Amino acid sequence: MTAETTEPAGTGPTAMVKAEGVHKSFGPVEVLKGIDLEVRSGEVFCLIGPSGSGKSTFLRCINHLEKINAGRLYVDGELVGYRQKGDRLYELKDSEVALKRRDIGMVFQRFNLFPHMTAIENVMEAPVQVKGVSKAEARERAGRLLERVGLADKAGNYPSQLSGGQQQRVAIARALAMDPKLMLFDEPTSALDPELVGDVLDVMRDLAESGMTMVVVTHEMGFAREVGDSLVFMDGGVVVESGSPREVLTNPQHERTQSFLSKVL
Amino acid sequence: MTVDIDKTDRPDAAPPAGPEAIKAVPVRHYGRYVAAVVALAVLASIVYAFAQGKINWQAVPDYFFDDRILKGVGQTLLLTVLSMLIGIVGGILLAVMRLSRNPVTSSIAWFYIWFFRGTPVLVQLVVWFNLGLVFEYINLGPIYKDYWSSFMTPLLTALLGLGLNEAAYMAEICRAGLLSVDEGQTEASHALGMSHSKTLRRIVIPQAMRVIVPPTGNEVINMLKTTSLVSVVQFYELFRYAQDIGQTSGAPVEMYFLAAAWYLILTSVLSVGQYYVERYYARGSSRQLPPTPWQKVRANLTSFSNRKGAAA
Repeated sequence: MTAETTEPAGTGPTAMVKAEGVHKSFGPVEVLKGIDLEVRSGEVFCLIGPSGSGKSTFLRCINHLEKINAGRLYVDGELVGYRQKGDRLYELKDSEVALKRRDIGMVFQRFNLFPHMTAIENVMEAPVQVKGVSKAEARERAGRLLERVGLADKAGNYPSQLSGGQQQRVAIARALAMDPKLMLFDEPTSALDPELVGDVLDVMRDLAESGMTMVVVTHEMGFAREVGDSLVFMDGGVVVESGSPREVLTNPQHERTQSFLSKVL
Repeated sequence: MTVDIDKTDRPDAAPPAGPEAIKAVPVRHYGRYVAAVVALAVLASIVYAFAQGKINWQAVPDYFFDDRILKGVGQTLLLTVLSMLIGIVGGILLAVMRLSRNPVTSSIAWFYIWFFRGTPVLVQLVVWFNLGLVFEYINLGPIYKDYWSSFMTPLLTALLGLGLNEAAYMAEICRAGLLSVDEGQTEASHALGMSHSKTLRRIVIPQAMRVIVPPTGNEVINMLKTTSLVSVVQFYELFRYAQDIGQTSGAPVEMYFLAAAWYLILTSVLSVGQYYVERYYARGSSRQLPPTPWQKVRANLTSFSNRKGAAA
């Protein structure tokens, strides 16, 4: 916004997300205990770990759905939720936070489609309401996005008339409608029947191939191995192990990673 | 699956040659017969009693469309609509105040609701009516200044009494509605970059309406009946006109019957309206909405003609 956009030291132009010692507590419970990681532009970054390890919380911190208590979190070189002037941090106004969220798409475990709108209205909503795109244009674009996720024929259906897998694909189209530079996936297939998981993963695979930067919290080790560029194993609010998915999944160095993988693979 | 479709498509088709249907003697519920006889007897005695009373039934149709009665109906409807408008706008405002993170506004809203729900509406009306005894003028600085008596007309008294009281009830209904919307909806909307107010207007309120509309319909119907109380603050509406006519025409009880009949007609019309408004806000919530009575009638007619066609 202003000239003094904070460029953190040591961050190249290719870092889409950069976390430095990120802490987050809910009351007395410390969920994130110092996360350091870097997501490069254009890569698929997978977060795995047992439930309660803080991976979803970390994901939600990236678009400021959760406020971090300590550390620094940058998206595309800009501080998340704050502005730094000198040594001082200033909280961003709600409208400024909203402005930044436009560029970050998010897909939720429970889809969170708007149930009172049809599939295509769900996809049109944000471009029309936030960006001020004309309805006709938004409808045309939304139609193409639904086609891309294989649901062109479901445009007029309400979410309750769609299967879980179809709902999740609409949710992906909805996030894509804002032309995000970063997509966050919070266990996108965990609430789906097993036979519906494949369709959603196919859409995500296509998206990865198109060069989208993606941060994916997942339990789908096959997807992580095949599509992921980097992988982080989190446990107890810290990053236990990171590296290329193939390395970490086939040859885990840390004992906790080994015991987790032996249970899920 | 296929069997089901067969059934709905051709209700006249002979049942498939399956196992033989059970024919058994049903259980006799003698208690039900007794209860029905007792209830009918009580009903008959009430009807008999009224038939014995010296009631001039002819007075009811005679005055049913009397100019004063029609004017009263109009005033009753006007008062209902205006009071509900005050109630709904005030209720939304109070609900948002109550849910806000600002402790001052939320406490004030809490106090308002506590006060106006905790005192009878008749008492509130009479208080508004008698404020003239303690205030001589109304003085809103440079905007407005007048004698209290010419400012506080019966209409304004009635509107304040009914509307402000209603706002307290509507606030609780709206609050329950807003809280009923899943938090994930707000999150999804925020994640798309929508502002607080847009999220509220486009995402939360439309979904809250499904919870808000049915009790609001009840409130409208209640309000229509409660307007009869404002006769005590000299506002002329259906009940007050009926009362006046009753005193001059010498048929007071008959005029109360007449008023009751009008109230019944109005509330019945409102109930039908409520049914369709509820249907509208239920869209997207269930896979298939149940048919409206009218659709049922039409469906029955077509299936009936089908059956005839099949028989011929």
